[in-house]
Amino acid sequence: MTGTTKRSLAAQVFLQALLCLELLGLSASSEDLFVRRFADQIRVLAPRLHFLSGKSLERLRDGVTVPFDFQLRIAAGLKNNFVGQPAVERFSISYDVWEEKFRVVRLRDFRKSAAGLSAIAAESWCLENLLVPSAGLPADKELWARLDIRTAEPKEQVSSNADSGISIPALIQLLSRPPRPQQDHWTLESASFHLADVKQ
Amino acid sequence: MESQLHSPVAMKLVLIPLLAATALFGQTAQRADDTADQDQATDLNVNSRYTVESVDLSNQHHYRLSTSILDEMHRLIGSRLNDEAVKRLAGRIRGELRAHDVTFKLLRGGNPDSIKVLFEVEKGQSDFDLSIPKFAYNSREGGTGAGQAIGRIGANVFSFAGLSDGDSLAERFTGIQAKYERLSLGSDRVSMGFEFDAYHEQYNGATLSAIASGVDASSLGAGAYRSRMNFEPSATFVLATPLTLTIGFSFEQLQPQVSAVPSESANAVINTLRYHQRWIDSDDTNQELDAGYNLRAATRSIGSDLAYTRHAVNVRYAVMHDHQSIEIALVGGLIYGRAPLFERFVLGDDTTLRGWDKYDIDPLGGNRMIHGSVTYGYRVVRVFYDTGAVWDQGTAPEVRHSAGVGISSGMGLFQKGAVLVAVAFPIRQGRAEPVFIAGMNF
Repeated sequence: MTGTTKRSLAAQVFLQALLCLELLGLSASSEDLFVRRFADQIRVLAPRLHFLSGKSLERLRDGVTVPFDFQLRIAAGLKNNFVGQPAVERFSISYDVWEEKFRVVRLRDFRKSAAGLSAIAAESWCLENLLVPSAGLPADKELWARLDIRTAEPKEQVSSNADSGISIPALIQLLSRPPRPQQDHWTLESASFHLADVKQ
Repeated sequence: MESQLHSPVAMKLVLIPLLAATALFGQTAQRADDTADQDQATDLNVNSRYTVESVDLSNQHHYRLSTSILDEMHRLIGSRLNDEAVKRLAGRIRGELRAHDVTFKLLRGGNPDSIKVLFEVEKGQSDFDLSIPKFAYNSREGGTGAGQAIGRIGANVFSFAGLSDGDSLAERFTGIQAKYERLSLGSDRVSMGFEFDAYHEQYNGATLSAIASGVDASSLGAGAYRSRMNFEPSATFVLATPLTLTIGFSFEQLQPQVSAVPSESANAVINTLRYHQRWIDSDDTNQELDAGYNLRAATRSIGSDLAYTRHAVNVRYAVMHDHQSIEIALVGGLIYGRAPLFERFVLGDDTTLRGWDKYDIDPLGGNRMIHGSVTYGYRVVRVFYDTGAVWDQGTAPEVRHSAGVGISSGMGLFQKGAVLVAVAFPIRQGRAEPVFIAGMNF
């Protein structure tokens, strides 16, 4: 093997490693998202996902309210053949600078909120309140769950909160376009499953 | 993994009907309990249960904010945190300062149920700004104005100004000012600047007559000059925020009115110590203090034809509460040696002994000066009283007084865009003609 070939191979390996690292930054493996049945609805668990981190966590600790947009979809037959109604929610999270605890409000319904939470508890609360109806999901096909989470950009936070409720156009616009580089975002997929096998 | 995402168009097809239905449902539900939802909306931030103890801007001495923004900052104090109001205010500050971004953070207050709001300004990598740093009209002395363009690239600031000033000196000077500043030199506590100025001078008849008569000849250097150029390198050190020290040199070249006469130089070492602080108290009281000491020492050791030392001090204190304000300003100075006309002290302009004609007081200015001013304001109405004296060493000072009334959008030097329209009267025996003053940022 010549020196040039070796260098070329090393460069390829390095680039592939970088690509892997990049993908890891955007998503987690299928082992990180678990599907559970809750009455006649589907919800997910992601014990290794910690979206209250990095810049978002810094802003929260500065006392700023940070909204997170969630989307949970189910695919049938093929991984990108989404069926049924997705669950779309915006959760507004804030951090008590005195008590050092989190508060989460589901913006679609302000009465749905929880306070005095640790970071992990706040993350779990969001997922517990993200529910997809199981009715209409094909029982005979292989299914996958896909979870997308994004932070809202600062400008979008102002426009959405000013409406004293969820800003539907802002949320549609946000979720229908690729996340911006400065936005924190996470994508998780579950392993394939059948509806009948989903645990309670 | 990103390649597995559905296209944005496909996502819209799924989301729009769903979210539209959600919106309709949400609106229907909201109508029933609208008030409750509005109250709860302000509670999105868990810290909204705390009382705002203070509202501040980090590095506030770098910025000048309008009265309305300062008022809005005051209004937040003493009430529960309103997340939306704070965000709106951040947006307004961003617009006014033309900043890249303005963020805020909440800090624990002095009591367990209180918090402090601190705004932070991010200026961005580059910007460009056009402004009128000074504009004034005096019915006796005419107009004064300056236009300035400022460009900023990172920590480098370039500014260029054109001005015609018939107010602040015994002479009217018209010309340009070009300046380069490096805001950070290894540390944010050190900055440096290079300034170049070129002016053409015009004189009032009374001033030329006084020069010709030889009055003040013992203390006046250079006589009347046709133009002057100045090159001024300097460095500013933040000694202890907000106390700064500027040191540098001023190389000033004076071109005489008669071209056959050689030019004269007034090269000086310059030092300025400045303190500027603003406090916003929880009882809605805003206080500002601006104080400075300036020393210019021209010596032959740095090639100056004229040798003199000029000391100047200024203190300005303003306090505002509700709709009332009081501002007290004191300035004083003295010169040793033979200083050129542009260094001499003048009273009777748009900020001192308003109502007096500076050429009536002393057409050449003086080498001793003291002045005090008190301004009371209620809403936009201003009433002011000025007193002071300018004289030459060895002569007796004559203290003069003046008073006036006007309307203003701001208070003192600290607020951007402050406009004053006033009528001022000299207080003296006999007939006193009022002077009309109008201007901005002076």
